[in-house]
Amino acid sequence: MGSNNAVKLLAKGLVVPFFLGANLAVAQGATVLYKERVVEIEDTLPDASELWVKPEDLTRINDFELKPQGACLADLCIPVLQNRDSDMFVTRQGQGWFNVTGLADKLQQAWAADYDDSVFSFGVMPLERQSFFRGGMAPDFELTDRDGNLVSLSDFKGKQVLLLTWASW
Amino acid sequence: MDVPVWQVIYEELQAVNPDFEIISVAQDTGGEADAGPIFDAGNVSYTEIIDVNHHISALYNLVNVPSGVWIDKEGRIVRINEGTYAKTHMNGAFGTDEYVPIVRDWVANGPDSEYVWDSDRVEDSIIERTPEAERAQPTFRLGSYFFQNDNDEKAEQYWTLAQELDPTSWNYLRQDLLYEEGGSAGPEWQQRRQEVESNGGSYYRSLEVD
Repeated sequence: MGSNNAVKLLAKGLVVPFFLGANLAVAQGATVLYKERVVEIEDTLPDASELWVKPEDLTRINDFELKPQGACLADLCIPVLQNRDSDMFVTRQGQGWFNVTGLADKLQQAWAADYDDSVFSFGVMPLERQSFFRGGMAPDFELTDRDGNLVSLSDFKGKQVLLLTWASW
Repeated sequence: MDVPVWQVIYEELQAVNPDFEIISVAQDTGGEADAGPIFDAGNVSYTEIIDVNHHISALYNLVNVPSGVWIDKEGRIVRINEGTYAKTHMNGAFGTDEYVPIVRDWVANGPDSEYVWDSDRVEDSIIERTPEAERAQPTFRLGSYFFQNDNDEKAEQYWTLAQELDPTSWNYLRQDLLYEEGGSAGPEWQQRRQEVESNGGSYYRSLEVD
């Protein structure tokens, strides 16, 4: 893992588009973990360390949508140039590819990867928790309860909630 | 151990204030097989969640279990990050009888309860994470993914890395020890706990009820 990190750090300093997609013949899938999601991505752009996906897969991963003004989630838009290659977006043979790990870095969202099996795991997005650290608003979540229902904290608005963690171990 | 105790308290407090709810979230990578029977034995009617990825601990910066968060009707946190046992266990070997009375007071008095914290105190009580500790949560999740896919070697690799990135998390340590030592309160945990406590630290942040 230490060496993988070294590769990642190294790659961050490079101008990514120069070598990106050199090996287009090899289609590589990836598994992406975010919140409770396990998203299987059929095609990624081969790259030593970053995760590049088609724009529609970006939305499957983290709900961000690629719009003309950038990568957007609700009111927030991170500007992304799409008429020429950048460290966030490249076009290869007419197909656009978006750098999900690059977006995470811009959002200061922690991530970890197992490159051998191509599994990318993304942490909590800081932008979801700004009002948690300043003002103490409870961050919302969506988890499945034991009856199979999706439970969100926002379902409990108007209630006085005792949120408890425990473990069997 | 507290699951059935909370059920009794839940029934008592719902009679006082029907807006009171408990969301109980097991931080159990082993899922239903590990935590399910305990919920079942408690005949639980509050909200039961088995959180195999420890998402709630990641989201609320919690490092130990049991931990509690009070959330008011507006979605504001008014207490956080405490060792929230429902009672003492094993003749006082662990647990506390001091927590439930303050919950009772909060349910009865809402925002006027003397145990409600202001936002400054809540902010001060949220555990701050280093960038490495932030990286520990997706790393732990990566390990859990491999665990769920029967790749124990990689699970161990990433769970170990998560503990190195966030040595303050008892959850990461003890979840891992369950598989390494067959239990989470064995020699390694005892040794780590003694180290922390002999350096003036505490296993749970002390419960402040005065």
